[in-house]
Amino acid sequence: MGRGVPGLEQAYHGLFVIALIFLAVMVVLCLIRAIIGPRVADRIVAVNMMGTMVMVIIGILALMLEEGYLVDICLIYAMISFLAVIVLTKVYMGVYLEKKEEERKNGGD
Amino acid sequence: MAVIEWIRFLAGAFLLLFGLVIFAIEMVGVFRFKYVLNRMHAAAMGDTLGIGFSLVGLILMSGWNFTSLKLFLVVVFLWFSSPASSHLISRLEVTTDEAPEKHYRVMDLKELEEKLHRDKQQETSEETLCRDDRKGEA
Repeated sequence: MGRGVPGLEQAYHGLFVIALIFLAVMVVLCLIRAIIGPRVADRIVAVNMMGTMVMVIIGILALMLEEGYLVDICLIYAMISFLAVIVLTKVYMGVYLEKKEEERKNGGD
Repeated sequence: MAVIEWIRFLAGAFLLLFGLVIFAIEMVGVFRFKYVLNRMHAAAMGDTLGIGFSLVGLILMSGWNFTSLKLFLVVVFLWFSSPASSHLISRLEVTTDEAPEKHYRVMDLKELEEKLHRDKQQETSEETLCRDDRKGEA
């Protein structure tokens, strides 16, 4: 980035490094939220947030290393994180409703 | 030419850092709110706006090429998928909540209509009362 202009390459590098460090701290905080989150929804939301921040990290790396194909990985990451949320919510809700149904049946007898 | 490059760098850096600031605000909301649905709201809003600003900043820095197009596609996909996933998560939370009366009040449509009607009546009666007061002052 910014080749040919004096000082600009260093400026881009510094900006990207600062942004990456900041995002790494944010991802760690998300992880803490996922661990302490009292409910399942908290954990899923925290994982979703981590996915978003990792997407920004991948975008920054794609520009920093000047490898355009890394952005494809970012796109696929977005799709997979969306799919993970759908699957987790559906599975958890199905399990919960099944358990409720079982309890109701046992209570009725 | 160098001046234009510097201006592009500064604009992109501003947008990228603004997106990161929004991520920080989102994190504050996620840690300070007391109830799951509030936290989820903060997270969803922050995610949408934060990734929008950061990736627009990256697009500005990257220039007019295919990388920019792909970054734009990421933004578009996320803006469609984030509300859908928030909706799913909130439905999960409401379905699996064992004690909903502790956190929010469930109200069916008939009850709500009655409440609105009651509020309206109260309002109009208060208004007439005020008018009467003014009349009395005059």
